Amino acid sequence: MADLSPNQPRLFVANRGEIALRVIRAAHALGIETVLGVSAADRDSPAAREAGRAVVLGPAPSRDSYLNMDLVVHAAVATGCTLLHPGYGFLSERPDFAELCAAEGLTFIGPRAETVRAVGDKISAKAVADAAKVPLTPGSGKLLSVEHALEVAQGIGYPVITKASAGGGGRGMIVARDADELRRAFDQASTTAREAFGDDTLYLEAYVERARHLEVQLFGDGEGRVSHFGERDCSIQRRYQKMIEEAPASILTDDLRAGLRAAAVDLLASINYRNAGTVEFLYDEVRQKFYFMEVNARIQVEHPVSEQISSHDLIKLQLGLALGTATLPRQDDIALAGHAIEARILAEDPDRNFMPCPGRITRWVPATGPGVRVDSAVQEGSVVPPFYDSMVAKLIVTGADRAQAVARLSDALRRFKVEGIATNIPLLQAIVDHPDYRANAVSTKWLEDTLLPAFQTERSE
Amino acid sequence: MTDKGKSPALPSDDLQALVEQFNASHWRTLELEFHGSRLFLSKDAGTSPAWVGAAAATTVSSLPAARQLPAQTAAVPLPGAPVSGPIVAEGHVIVNAPSLGTFYRSPKPGAAAFTQIGEAVDADTELCLIEVMKLFTTLRAGVKGKVVKILVEDGVMVEYDQPLFVIDPNG
Repeated sequence: MADLSPNQPRLFVANRGEIALRVIRAAHALGIETVLGVSAADRDSPAAREAGRAVVLGPAPSRDSYLNMDLVVHAAVATGCTLLHPGYGFLSERPDFAELCAAEGLTFIGPRAETVRAVGDKISAKAVADAAKVPLTPGSGKLLSVEHALEVAQGIGYPVITKASAGGGGRGMIVARDADELRRAFDQASTTAREAFGDDTLYLEAYVERARHLEVQLFGDGEGRVSHFGERDCSIQRRYQKMIEEAPASILTDDLRAGLRAAAVDLLASINYRNAGTVEFLYDEVRQKFYFMEVNARIQVEHPVSEQISSHDLIKLQLGLALGTATLPRQDDIALAGHAIEARILAEDPDRNFMPCPGRITRWVPATGPGVRVDSAVQEGSVVPPFYDSMVAKLIVTGADRAQAVARLSDALRRFKVEGIATNIPLLQAIVDHPDYRANAVSTKWLEDTLLPAFQTERSE
Repeated sequence: MTDKGKSPALPSDDLQALVEQFNASHWRTLELEFHGSRLFLSKDAGTSPAWVGAAAATTVSSLPAARQLPAQTAAVPLPGAPVSGPIVAEGHVIVNAPSLGTFYRSPKPGAAAFTQIGEAVDADTELCLIEVMKLFTTLRAGVKGKVVKILVEDGVMVEYDQPLFVIDPNG
C-alpha cells in the first residue's frame, strides 16, 4: 500500500456484508482510504475486493474474528487507520470497544462510549428517556422475585410482557394474560435471559395488543444539537426481526408525527448525543399513544429508507461529522418528501420454517428500474457463508407516495431473480400483495398471526 | 514460488490454477508428481500424503499450528497481503499464523532470534511471538525438522493463516 501523508485519514471498516461495502464506497467517494478486517470466510467477498486493503483477522466464527475487539483494534492501528466504522451488529454497541478505540487513538464513528453505555442497558435507557419527559410504557423497574412481578402486574393491568434487562432480539420476552401465566413466564424468561445474556434481571411492561414499531432517525453534533431525518414504520416483523421497513410512517396524524419526532430529538439532545442514532417507539394504535422502547446507538440496517426521503447520504454524514469536515444539517435544511420501502432479502427458506440456506448463488439478477435501489454484497458466484446473519441484500424502492412505492416494490420483487440458495422473496411478494399491507392495516404481530398461516397453507397445497 | 535447487517445478500460475480448480471441485485430496516435485492438497485438516512418514503425519495432525499444505493457503494470495506463496514439495511443513497480529522473531528487542534458517527444531521449539494488543502468544513449530524458510520480516503485521515458516521434517 502506498505511503500517505500522516494527515490523510484512513478508515478501518469493522464489519462485513452489505454495510461494509456501503461504508467503503461512501469513504472512497469522500477520498478516504479504507482497510477492511475480514474473517477467513470473507477473504474473497466483494467488500474485501473493493476495500483499499483487506486483512484477515481470524477464522470464520465471529468470536474469533469480527467480535474479537483486540484483533480488530490491533489490525486498525497496525494498518495505519485513524478512524473506525463499526457498522451495525458485531461490536457496534459495545461501550468497551468504543473505549478501546479511543485509548488507541482511533476515532470511533458513533456516540461516545458513555452514551453507548447509558442507552445500552434498557433500564438505564428508560431512566434517560423518563428524565427527558419521553413517554414510557407503563411498567416496572428491576423485578426482585415472582411475587414482586405479580404485585407490579396487578398495578399495570394484564396483559403484561416480561423483558430481559440486558437483552434484545425478543429473547426473554413472554406475554402473560393472568397471574398463572405470569408465574410460568417469569421462570422461563429468567432462564432464557441467564442463558442468552448471562444476566437474569427482568422487568415488566404493559403489553400492547395492536402495536406498531415506529422509530426516528437522528443525528447529533455531540454538543446538544440534534436533527431528525423523519420516522420509519418497521411493523412487518417475524420474531421481533424486521423484514420490511418504510418511511415515513403513514399511519400517523400530523400532530402525532410532530410529537414523536420532537420526543426523539429531546431524548438524544438531553445526552448530547453524537453521530447517528435511532429512537424506537411502540405505537398503540387503539389508544393512539407512543411509548419509548430503546435507543440504537449506531447506524441501522434500514437507514436507506430515511436517505431516500431526505436526500441525505447518512453514511457520508457519519464520516464527515467524525472527521469534522461536515456539520450537522439544521432541521430546516432536511426536506422530507416521497415514500420509501425496504425489503430485506434473506437466505432463508420460508417453506422450511425459515431454515437458513447458505450456499453458492448461481444466478443473481437484482431488480432495476425507476425508484429501485439494491444494497448488497453478493453477486453471481458468491458464497453465502453459514456463519453469519442471513441477510444477502436490501431492496429499496421509492415513490411519490406509499401506493406508488408499494406498486414498485411488488414489481421489483417479481423481477428479482436468485438461484442456488432459497430466499424469502416469495414471502415478501405475498406480504406486499396482501390487501392488509396495501391498506396499511398491519401490526407487529400481523406477519406471524395473519399472513404466515395463510402463506404456509397456500404453499403446501 | 518454485522450490529452489530442484529440477523444474510447476510454474506458479499453473499451481494457482490447480489450487483454484481443486477448491472448486468435490475432491477431498489431490496428489501430483511433476519432474520430481510432489504436491499434496487436502480439504481435511490432518490428512497427509502417502509419502509422508506415519510418525510425522501423527505429529502434524495432533498440532494445529503446523499443517500439511492446506489447500486454502497453498497458493491463493490473501487480499492485499505480501504473500510469497510458499509452495513446498517433499513434505515440507508450513507453519501459519494462528491469528492476526504483529510477528516477532525474538523474545524482546535486541535479543537473539528464537530460530534461524537451517536450525533444527522440535515440535515444542518456539519459533516466534504473535502480539495482539500487547498480549504475546508463543508459536511453536509443531513438528520436528529443520527451518528452511522464514517468510515474514520481524515486526510486521501478519494476518490469520498467513504462512510464516517452512520446516523440512526430514532435514
